[in-house]
Amino acid sequence: MRIVVAEDLYLLRDGMVRLIEAYGHEVVATATTGPETLAALLKWRPDVAVVDVRMPPTQSDEGLRAALAARREVPGLPVLILSQHVEQLYARELLADGAGGIGYFLKESVFDADQFMDALERVAAGGTAMDPAVIAKLFSSGSSNRLLEALTEREHAVLSLMAEGLSNAAIGQRLFLSESAISKYTTSMFGKLGISDDDTGNRRVLAVLTYLNNP
Amino acid sequence: MRGMRSWVTSVGVGLVRAFAVVAVALLVPVVWAAAVLLGIAWGPSNPWSWLAPAVLVGVGTLGLSRPVCRTVRFLVARWSSTVIASGYRRPGPVTQLTTGYWWNGFGYERTDRDAVLDQKMRLRWRDPANWRDLRFVVILPVTAGLVAAVPPAGVAAAVLGFGGSGFLANGVGVLGVAVALGSAPYAWRSLEPVAVRFLRPSAAMTLADRVDELTAQRADTTIAQAAEIRRIERDLHDGAQARLVALGMSLATAEKLMERDPERAKALMREARTGAATSLTELRDLVQGINPPVLNERGLVDAVRAFALDSPLEVRVEADVELRLEPPVESALYFGVVELVTNAVKHAQASRARISLTRTGPDLVVVVEDDGRGGADPRSGGGLDGLRRRLAVFDGTLEITSPAGGPTRARMMVPCASW
Repeated sequence: MRIVVAEDLYLLRDGMVRLIEAYGHEVVATATTGPETLAALLKWRPDVAVVDVRMPPTQSDEGLRAALAARREVPGLPVLILSQHVEQLYARELLADGAGGIGYFLKESVFDADQFMDALERVAAGGTAMDPAVIAKLFSSGSSNRLLEALTEREHAVLSLMAEGLSNAAIGQRLFLSESAISKYTTSMFGKLGISDDDTGNRRVLAVLTYLNNP
Repeated sequence: MRGMRSWVTSVGVGLVRAFAVVAVALLVPVVWAAAVLLGIAWGPSNPWSWLAPAVLVGVGTLGLSRPVCRTVRFLVARWSSTVIASGYRRPGPVTQLTTGYWWNGFGYERTDRDAVLDQKMRLRWRDPANWRDLRFVVILPVTAGLVAAVPPAGVAAAVLGFGGSGFLANGVGVLGVAVALGSAPYAWRSLEPVAVRFLRPSAAMTLADRVDELTAQRADTTIAQAAEIRRIERDLHDGAQARLVALGMSLATAEKLMERDPERAKALMREARTGAATSLTELRDLVQGINPPVLNERGLVDAVRAFALDSPLEVRVEADVELRLEPPVESALYFGVVELVTNAVKHAQASRARISLTRTGPDLVVVVEDDGRGGADPRSGGGLDGLRRRLAVFDGTLEITSPAGGPTRARMMVPCASW
């Protein structure tokens, strides 16, 4: 894959580049500030970009805003956001356009390099990949209880794993169920969330989104 | 009928109050009059005849000035619910030192009774309020005292007029009654404006109070800051630092075992990775407690929104402000919201909360309401008291209405005209 890395701290940027190259992908550009990030994303149109939230010049949420701006220009441009902390607020903003191709992880998710690369590929393919910490926050917040009541415990578990970005097969492995059983759960869940079965591809993202946008 | 009754009441009450005002106002002039009479009685032949009256005037005026002013303040508060700050200097603490002597802020005394007495005397002697009080007892008789004397004068005229005989005397009596009845409901009301004008703390006194307040706040802030820094240091020392040391050791061991026992080396590496992840989690929690990253990245409104999303309550956030304040102010307000919502969850067992951030004039007002069972207690030493003090540093205020049974409504206000 062709990848852009946006990160202002040299050590982390260098480590990220080495890790990506160790897995045989190509880093086409690196960026260290918000504006640079936006420019690099629009110029290179990478298969996926790894972007840090907090960057110069303002040391606020420059990276996040650059990613959102780039996706407004190029809908569905795959971006994986890395941060020292995860906020539901940011997750919601990233998912809001419903185009998929979004990942949001804590920086230490890189410790498990295989899983991280997996997530990167999923995002590049237009799926969503969320850190379990984000999902835990999403599912424990007070505003979502009403929707959760409609789902059974099993469906709930399936939905949270789906939000993390796992495939049906992977979810099945986690829950020790067959893939066909999982697809039964997902179908009933889509029904409860009111997502039609018209194969616009991103039903899984939509499921998470519907869940998010039902306070 | 009702109008009649209320008029009678107001006349009765007015008469009583007018007499009270006159009595208070005349206290000091009566002392002076007594001194003059004393001087006259001793006669001008005695060259020392002025001495006793002079002493009487001095001691009497000084001694009576404070009680008269206290009484006037009490009457004004009682009748018109206008509270006038007294502004007298308050005594500081009297503490026993290790030597056994007592320190009262001015000097050392052998016993605490002596120390308290000495402190009282010195405070009394140096209090700038003395001058104000002296001025007031001179002003009072010729202003409010004079106006309030109208109904009693009318009563006196009536008594004298009807007591005498003849057409003229009766006319005076009728006039006296008319004057007394007409002026009674209003005459005593002159006390309030006069007291408010001449009895409020002078600029110097207000400044002295403000300095005291600021000194206390500075001490508070310094202590709170030191405690905070100690807590951070301890957390880092016992948490992340220790973990990183362990991490280095695991890695060193793994390096050593690389050739001899690759399996164990791998296990150690895995352990090191878990350790690194754990110390990151700890650091993140610590950072969240010092200054939530969202607050830096987005400012108060979004930080409150993010907090509301993570809260187990159903929290509605309404904000019509998109402003960035100074970081310390934002931080104080944010942690205030956190404190209030956490209380709602922990103590009030609330299920819903509403947070609104609005600008009213030059102030930023943050209101946190919950549907819990109330009973929030801003007692000194508690979390709410700490919050009140944190806001006071920015001249902000915290008002809490929390009847038993709920709901609780807390209102934080910070003036932000200058930002």
